[in-house]
Amino acid sequence: MKFKDKIRFIRQNIKKNKVRTFMTILATAMGCAFLIVLASIGYGLQKSVVEDTLEQQIVTQIDVHGQEDDNGNYRSLTMEDVKYFEEMENVKAVTRRNQIRQMPTFTLEDYQTSVAAVTAHFPSEKDSGLELAEGRFPESANEVIVGDHFSEYLALITEEDIYDEKTGMIKESFLYQESLLNKTVEMTVTDNDEVEHVIPLKIVGIMEEPTKEWLQDRNVYVSNEIYTEVEIFTGTPGGELGIEPEMYDATEEAEAIDNVKVYADNLEVVQSISDKLEDENYAIYSVVSEMNQINMLFTVAKAGLILVGTIAIIIASIGIYNTMTMAVTERAPDIGIMKAIGANPKTIKQIFLLESSYIGIIGAFIGVIVAYATSFLVNLGLPMILEMTFGEELPEGLQFSSIPISLVLISIGICLLVTIVSGLRPAKRATELDVLKAMRREF
Amino acid sequence: MIQVKHLNHHFELGKKEKKTRLTVLENINLCVEKGEIVTIVGKSGSGKSTLLNLISGFIRPVEGEIWIDGKEVSHFTEAEFADFRLKHMGFVFQNFQLIPSMTAYQNIELPLILKGLTEKDRKQITDEMLETVGLTDFRSHYPSELSGGQQQRVSIARALVLKPALILADEPTGSLDSETEAELLTFIKQLNKDYGITFLIITHDEEVASIGHRTITISDGQLLEGGASL
Repeated sequence: MKFKDKIRFIRQNIKKNKVRTFMTILATAMGCAFLIVLASIGYGLQKSVVEDTLEQQIVTQIDVHGQEDDNGNYRSLTMEDVKYFEEMENVKAVTRRNQIRQMPTFTLEDYQTSVAAVTAHFPSEKDSGLELAEGRFPESANEVIVGDHFSEYLALITEEDIYDEKTGMIKESFLYQESLLNKTVEMTVTDNDEVEHVIPLKIVGIMEEPTKEWLQDRNVYVSNEIYTEVEIFTGTPGGELGIEPEMYDATEEAEAIDNVKVYADNLEVVQSISDKLEDENYAIYSVVSEMNQINMLFTVAKAGLILVGTIAIIIASIGIYNTMTMAVTERAPDIGIMKAIGANPKTIKQIFLLESSYIGIIGAFIGVIVAYATSFLVNLGLPMILEMTFGEELPEGLQFSSIPISLVLISIGICLLVTIVSGLRPAKRATELDVLKAMRREF
Repeated sequence: MIQVKHLNHHFELGKKEKKTRLTVLENINLCVEKGEIVTIVGKSGSGKSTLLNLISGFIRPVEGEIWIDGKEVSHFTEAEFADFRLKHMGFVFQNFQLIPSMTAYQNIELPLILKGLTEKDRKQITDEMLETVGLTDFRSHYPSELSGGQQQRVSIARALVLKPALILADEPTGSLDSETEAELLTFIKQLNKDYGITFLIITHDEEVASIGHRTITISDGQLLEGGASL
């Protein structure tokens, strides 16, 4: 018997009991929709969290904070570590930054601010993919880059109250209005005796705004030569105040690097580099490890939700079992006739299994449509309801429900499996029908 | 065509502890040649229908052998017997056994569907068959819309549609009036003559029994006469 003819048979049989079949399909559709919508919340929230995390961080970046020694103590990183990282496979760049350990004053014409000065190895920064909003990277020792928010703190030197009462920020009228590029700013550092040392620096670039909205970058990025100049002037490591030069002789401390970031060639190799560094007892953090934790958490949550949703389909399958059992009983004489004239028991079984699968497929198809519609309404309505109820604005782009194609396929698969299983026993019963009893309608 | 050797059959009646054995057929030996019309007569409960059901494979014999077309069929699996029935046998039943939700055309077409023929071939053969049994104008009628004679014609057409070598008929005229019965018997003789189809007919009607080349009488599960071929 051809597959096409089996389908024709099934459709003919379904037509005989339209209402009963419709109700069974409806129950299956509801079960399937429930499963998809439930799991879609897990998928939606995961998507939102992952996208949020990825948006705020550079995915190929690995922060290295130090290395644990045999005694369990952490030591700071040095240039030796940086060189080792640079030699590692698939490493694009290793940036290293140190902050001058006092807050220098920066003066530009009549404007002044006191912000952190951070040394950076500019070639590595450039290799890491750091992009500037304006200007270029420094090429000589006295050239610097300033953070995007530097200009918002560069205020006119005056006795007047320069701060806005409401915002707490410096009033616009007191801020430096012209372009900072190619301007010379004077960095003033002091030593323990409060003797000042002025270093003229030329601003050649302005950093891009940080990806994290809440972060402000008002730093001045200086070269290592400036850092050394400050150290020589103060006689202390990093220009730190409050310690006597003669008291401080820790070579190791002097070589310590505050902030080291390793940049991988691409996202795929981040995990292998992270694993290697972790194996060597480096304390690291990368977005991939955070992603792994997030994904693990959501995988467990999604599995739980799918399991709960599957219960709904199993409940619906009771309906299918009932429908198929009734169908076998009702069609027993027809089955008997078919068997008598030469229908193979396998064919009879296939017809009934196909019928239950047919109900499952139609139910799953309707369920998917209902689930997409529900998901759309949830994403549209729930934020509005929550905002009205709690009066708080939800984060932009927050998605409560997301239905990826994988979820649709999983749900259809579960639905189909459950419906086939629920049709197995009735189908077996149909094949085992006694021809003579069936034809005599002894059921 | 059919050879039955030392066939014994009984039914077990009652529940486990109180089982009783009802012997239905005892040492049946029978031979039906190709192209023969053989009628089996006997009283109700004589075992004639059981014999037909055993030959049809609807029930399995307790003892003995059944050979059809050179094949020992009594040990066939259910699936093997189903295929064998489809290829070699046609059935005509007393109460027609048509599927009520199918039209005359669809009932006749059913064996062709089971055999896996294409729609085009099915249409051609079914149309020919409808013409042979004179029901072309009733092709779209459901069994409930046909007379007893017409239903039996559909049943015969269904049995003939795959051109089997053997047709087994169980009281084929049992539900028909005398006029329709006569028509049907003429038709059976015609088919036998035209196509050489072997008929094994169970009946208690002497009129029907008279169309056979040979009549076998069965009583209390034993063959009284006519077991040997012509």
